[in-house]
Amino acid sequence: MPRDLSSLADILADARVWKLKDASAAPTRPVWSTGNSALDARLPGGGWPTASLIEVLLDQTGLGEVQLFLPALVECQRNIGPGRSDDAPWLVWIAPPHEPYAPALAQQGIELGRLLVVRPPSATEALWAAEQALGSGVCAAVLLWLKGSDDRWLRRLKLAAEAGGALGVLFRPERHRFESSPATLRLMMTQGEQEARLDLLKVQGGRPGPVDLGSP
Amino acid sequence: MKSRRATPQTADLFAAADAVFAPHSKPPKPRLSRYAGGMPPTPLPAGSPRPRQLWYAVVFPELFYVEHSAAVLQRLCLHAQAFTSFVSIEPPNALLLEIRGSLKLLGPLEHLHANLDACWRRLALKAQSATAPSTLAALWFARAGESVSGRPVIVEDVATLPGQMATLPLACTCWDAGHLQTLRSMGVTRMGELLRLPRAGIARRFGTDRVQDLDVALGRQSAPRRAFVPRERFRERCDFETEIEHAAYLEKALEPLIARCAQFLRERQAGVQALQLKLRHREGPATRVRLGLASVTSERRRLTDVLIQKLERLELAAPVRGMELISGSLQPLSAGSLDAFAGLAGTRAGRGRDSVPHLVERLRARFGDEAVYGVRSIAEHRPEAAWRRVHDLRFVSRGSQTAVQGTSEHGMPRPVWLLDEPALLPQQPVQLLKDGWILEQGPERIESGWWDGSGVARDYYIARYAQGARLWIFRERQSKRWYLHGMFA
Repeated sequence: MPRDLSSLADILADARVWKLKDASAAPTRPVWSTGNSALDARLPGGGWPTASLIEVLLDQTGLGEVQLFLPALVECQRNIGPGRSDDAPWLVWIAPPHEPYAPALAQQGIELGRLLVVRPPSATEALWAAEQALGSGVCAAVLLWLKGSDDRWLRRLKLAAEAGGALGVLFRPERHRFESSPATLRLMMTQGEQEARLDLLKVQGGRPGPVDLGSP
Repeated sequence: MKSRRATPQTADLFAAADAVFAPHSKPPKPRLSRYAGGMPPTPLPAGSPRPRQLWYAVVFPELFYVEHSAAVLQRLCLHAQAFTSFVSIEPPNALLLEIRGSLKLLGPLEHLHANLDACWRRLALKAQSATAPSTLAALWFARAGESVSGRPVIVEDVATLPGQMATLPLACTCWDAGHLQTLRSMGVTRMGELLRLPRAGIARRFGTDRVQDLDVALGRQSAPRRAFVPRERFRERCDFETEIEHAAYLEKALEPLIARCAQFLRERQAGVQALQLKLRHREGPATRVRLGLASVTSERRRLTDVLIQKLERLELAAPVRGMELISGSLQPLSAGSLDAFAGLAGTRAGRGRDSVPHLVERLRARFGDEAVYGVRSIAEHRPEAAWRRVHDLRFVSRGSQTAVQGTSEHGMPRPVWLLDEPALLPQQPVQLLKDGWILEQGPERIESGWWDGSGVARDYYIARYAQGARLWIFRERQSKRWYLHGMFA
């Protein structure tokens, strides 16, 4: 025991000690800009965190939920971080509700040659596929659409995202709002008066609350 | 030349045979040139002493009666290839090995010969062997067996060949039985006696092929042979002592097979893109598990992953008694193939332990080929025809892929989701607007495809729902009906 308490530096170096300061400060890991300055300002580090899991809750498609991530996807396909192998920037879309429309994605600047669409037969298989893709280390981002899933799986996805250095985005129905989630970020998109509403439900190292997206 | 061929020359004995039976009189060059009987032999140019080939022939008498001797010989070739790179099959039961090239490494000759014989002994095969400077001579000596001298015949010098061959029984040539019978009735039973006969006479009675055979045997004419090339495919089976009922237990048994397959590929610096696993049952046809890989590979881990993925999803119809792993055709591993430096990347990046083809394979092994695909945009005005799925994914390295897909210069943005089929909107436009729809952009007129029977004439709008959802709708110009075609997600 005395050996453990030898100095403050030793204690801080211990992986079991969680440092509050680090968590609230700007994360050292890189972020991808969301392409929306109002949203960037609300996110710690000024963008979507990489190597983490983001959960988006919404009941209806067409609210611009994919559009939120497209600028970041374009950016992460263009930039390869140091130390990443040459074939890093792949995007994997798992179980999208409709066909991703290639001309639209090309219009936005997505490199279609590095986009993979996976259609697993069931939700559990989709989670497995997402875990494989996130943990593979060759994907920049993995987008996953699910009707529902339990907490245990989300934790596995988060660990895989951290291990593989990929951005994982999970789209789920709004009814999961009150369940606990290990995701780094939780957003909720609902229909508003004129435009879609975006609420930050959980922001690690940031402040939750509604975001005014303004004009995109 | 013509007249010379026409006149039979009684004195036209085989020069070398003369040399043997009158050892002191060397066959002079002009005599060789007179040798025009059936066909001109091609003596080696005097000025350039080419290194002669040396042939080791081995005959397996037992194989003469075996039904599938060709397959056995092929397997024996693989053993023989440990000694020389040139192995040739002489059906039905003999092999010919060129061993001149191996002498430096594996010689001296007696030593090499003894080692080769020991190789067959280890395989518990009865073998008769001989070494001679020409293929046929070696083969004939081997067929004659050790009965001549009690020891295997080893002839290195082509000049002594005719003398050594003189005592060979003619039966070892395996010529036509009728010819041999004729020769026997002429009192010719040994090779020496045959060599003393006039060349033209032999050619006339027994055909020019026999004369040619003799020329080849004596090393006067070269007879190119085709080398055995091993079948480049991995195929190995393993039988179980007990029947296996669960696919999970198969994995354990599969591991050594895959390890050997990967080793096989590595030795050949090749990879495979397809594998087949055959599971044999007590009765009924074998279950075949076919799998394709996204790219050519020889990596053991990738092969294991894909096979095990397949096995996990396999429903066994009956207990398995044995299995067989068969590789597809081997393909060279190109320098550009992604896993050539996979190990290097792994050590550098620390976590880059996977490659994209590997990931795609695993997903496809589990969900099927159709469920994993890419998308491409096509220069086409009709929205539903402006894209397609791509199942043949290309894993080119970054940079070599330029932006071929010219970002379409559509005036209006396109939606992220496109419906498979346009959905008819139930309400009329007036009603829609009353319900709070706003037409944000439009119209964009798309009129195309009249030439292939699926023409469209539509006005597209981007509409916004009151609550914020943005949709891509169009009005068909003929029917004036409204459809939903996409969502701006």
